[in-house]
Amino acid sequence: MRLEKCWFCSSTVYPGHGIQFVRNDAKVFRFCRSKCHKNFKMKRNPRKVKWTKAYRRLRGKDMTQDTTFEFERKRNRPERYDRILTEQTLKAIPLITKIRHERQKKHITERQKGGKSMSRKKDAKELEQDLQMLPKKDTVAYEATKQKVIVSQLKTEENLMEE
Amino acid sequence: MGGKCPHRKVKKRRLSHKTARRGKFLLNADDAVYDELVKLADKGKDCEGKALPVDEDLPGMGQFYCLHCDRYFADETVKEDHYRSKRHKKRVKTLSGPAPHTQLDADLAAGMGMPDNGLKLMST
Repeated sequence: MRLEKCWFCSSTVYPGHGIQFVRNDAKVFRFCRSKCHKNFKMKRNPRKVKWTKAYRRLRGKDMTQDTTFEFERKRNRPERYDRILTEQTLKAIPLITKIRHERQKKHITERQKGGKSMSRKKDAKELEQDLQMLPKKDTVAYEATKQKVIVSQLKTEENLMEE
Repeated sequence: MGGKCPHRKVKKRRLSHKTARRGKFLLNADDAVYDELVKLADKGKDCEGKALPVDEDLPGMGQFYCLHCDRYFADETVKEDHYRSKRHKKRVKTLSGPAPHTQLDADLAAGMGMPDNGLKLMST
């Protein structure tokens, strides 16, 4: 038995739920509920509808790259039955889901932390003010990077003027 | 599916018949057209270069075809007019953008890995 994912919102479609549409070029579209089916019929793009997983993934709202994602996948080669392996898998499932939930929580709290640009500005200001506190080697390096930035800016301005 | 259209005042055009809307259902969907375009791009051929099969049921014997809009035209001038139209340009723009949403995208967004097809059975 396969638990398929909804074409529109990427939620799991359990047996006996949702609807399946087979287009005349034999492409199968599965929908978890009539909401998703209707949105498909309206030709909406799931990437532009805010409540779908595709949207959230694209904008970095959800965690996207993680090792826990590697477990659940469509396996087109049947696995040979092995009692021990099955037992171990069943034991591992709750553990992995727990880890994944924790990581997702962490991702969201990190995403919702505000004032990133403000803190960056504050840090830059602090560096400018307390430059003499640094060892001389570091201050020289800092000045050099600053000079580079200024020179590159000037160059681009000159280019613009020429054009 | 013959629904009433409440905003139409002309009695003749009040009903929207399925036969009238059939053309819409027969059109290729966006992702099908996109796949076709990708296939052509892989071959390295322009969509104009290929000789089209003669079909007397289609307008202009099926010789004047717009791949982006999946439409046949009566002759060259009509086709050129179509190429200059806003509708066509809009369509070309959308199709040259990112690939349309597929089931694989939906699966990946749901937190699944890439499909596992196992080892190759036949060595080529």
